[in-house]
Amino acid sequence: MILSLVKKSIFLIITAIILVSIIWLFFALIPESPLRELESAQEAISKARNHNSVIYSAKTFREARSYYDSAMISWKTENKRFILFRDYERARMFASISGKKAAEATKSTISKANDMRLNLDSEIKRLTVRIRDFEKLFSTVPVPQEIKKKHAKGKLLLKETVIAFNKGEYVTGSVKVAEANEYLTDSYSFANAKLTEYYKNYSRWQDWAGKTIRESRERGSYAIIVEKVPGVCYLYHKGEKKYTFEVEFGNNWMGDKVSKGDFATPEGRYKITKRLSNGATKYHKALLINYPNQQDLEEFKIMVQSGKLPSGTKIGGLIEIHGEGGRGGNWTEGCVALKNSDMDVLFKYAGNGTPVTIIGSSVPLNEFMSSR
Amino acid sequence: MKNRFFLVFATVAAVVLMTSCGKVPQADIDATNAAISSAKTAQADIYLPGEFAALNDSMTVITQSVEAQKSKLFKNYKSVKVQTGALTTYAGQIAANAAVKKDEVRVEAETMLASAKTLLADNQALILKAPKGKEGKAVLDEIKSEMTVIETSINEAQVLYDGGTNYMQVRDKVKAANEALTAINTELNDAIAKVKR
Repeated sequence: MILSLVKKSIFLIITAIILVSIIWLFFALIPESPLRELESAQEAISKARNHNSVIYSAKTFREARSYYDSAMISWKTENKRFILFRDYERARMFASISGKKAAEATKSTISKANDMRLNLDSEIKRLTVRIRDFEKLFSTVPVPQEIKKKHAKGKLLLKETVIAFNKGEYVTGSVKVAEANEYLTDSYSFANAKLTEYYKNYSRWQDWAGKTIRESRERGSYAIIVEKVPGVCYLYHKGEKKYTFEVEFGNNWMGDKVSKGDFATPEGRYKITKRLSNGATKYHKALLINYPNQQDLEEFKIMVQSGKLPSGTKIGGLIEIHGEGGRGGNWTEGCVALKNSDMDVLFKYAGNGTPVTIIGSSVPLNEFMSSR
Repeated sequence: MKNRFFLVFATVAAVVLMTSCGKVPQADIDATNAAISSAKTAQADIYLPGEFAALNDSMTVITQSVEAQKSKLFKNYKSVKVQTGALTTYAGQIAANAAVKKDEVRVEAETMLASAKTLLADNQALILKAPKGKEGKAVLDEIKSEMTVIETSINEAQVLYDGGTNYMQVRDKVKAANEALTAINTELNDAIAKVKR
């Protein structure tokens, strides 16, 4: 009886031990979920996103997200299997790659954003100088309306760039600054090329002005020199500068007059052929010059023959130095306009035959540029 | 007999215990997702981007919690239910706050647009009074070109405003136009004042 009880007890104990062991083994064999790894990856992704990696390191950030999604899919798939047959290693591996990629994106973003900030700052400064230079150097250069608009558009875009920069939106700023640069460079290049091309005649101008002053000195006579840049007229006597007057030209003043109606003021050596006053001119007083002179006629003929000007084009004439100026801007049809009070002075000294030399400038381009 | 009854009872109790808290609260999760979608519809991603990102992060944590419970033998979604409930409420708040913020930005953009239009008209009137001395006309021509470009920019901003998609963009665009117009206004007033002196 006792033996039987002992046997029964031993059997129960062994059964209990086996049962407990089976249960322990069952629980021990349940694989641990990849929660910790996925949490860690998610934190890294959040950090990358907060640093704007989605903008600055888009590809790496996308990869981090993609690996995270793969980890989640793998985790979900394994969860559908029998609990002891689950294998979370792939989910762990994807989560680990995701975390690394996200950290890489953050690091790269910090570096890229900083580079972009520095570049943008330098571009803003460079373009601000370009705007100032354009307005200082080319404000009177007759450029087409389209070029002026390009400059204005670039200027406004630069303001939008500064707003984006101050908000830390460096990508938006970079897009805007690139656009601003295009507009500002186009307008600056156009105006600069026009001015440079114009100054190619500088040695010619020097030669004409030098001869006129020398002749005035040698003959003890009066001479007029008109300089388009910066828009002045000098009255010389015996080779000495006596008076300086501000003048205005046609709105297409930059360059030599080529044909009738081009609103350009001729450049060259001329003489006064007629003096008009007392109602003979609508411009207070006027001094008619001998445009076109022989050289103008020859150059015009060559241009028509070479096809640069269509046949039937007229050379024009009736170019005067006259009053009614001081309006601001260049408004004549090619004449040189002075204020009436200045015209009175000039008219007093200039007679028929007085030399009138019209040049671009007596100052070389580099000096003009650095003086502005 | 008694033992058998006890065994059956114990098994049923264990099953009930294991399954009572073991069902994914899908309805709660769906409600939270819907609340987050509503926040996006309210443009929380544009007007409250930080808060919206936090919402999405929280949703990700919930998804992780669900899977973590699924990985266990004894599943318990009580904390998930609590999390989804809290997040649904928070998403609702974010949607409401985004609407408020959007309206604030809209009003700001509207005020700036009106101010830009007034400045534009003022400057156009000032141009007529501005002195046209030496180089003055050239400068005025430049200002006129600039004003044409600014006017176009204001019109573009108005179209964006009318579209109502992103008032932040409108605000930034008009801010640049306003700054440019203010600079022109100062330049013109200074030039006029110099002549009067």
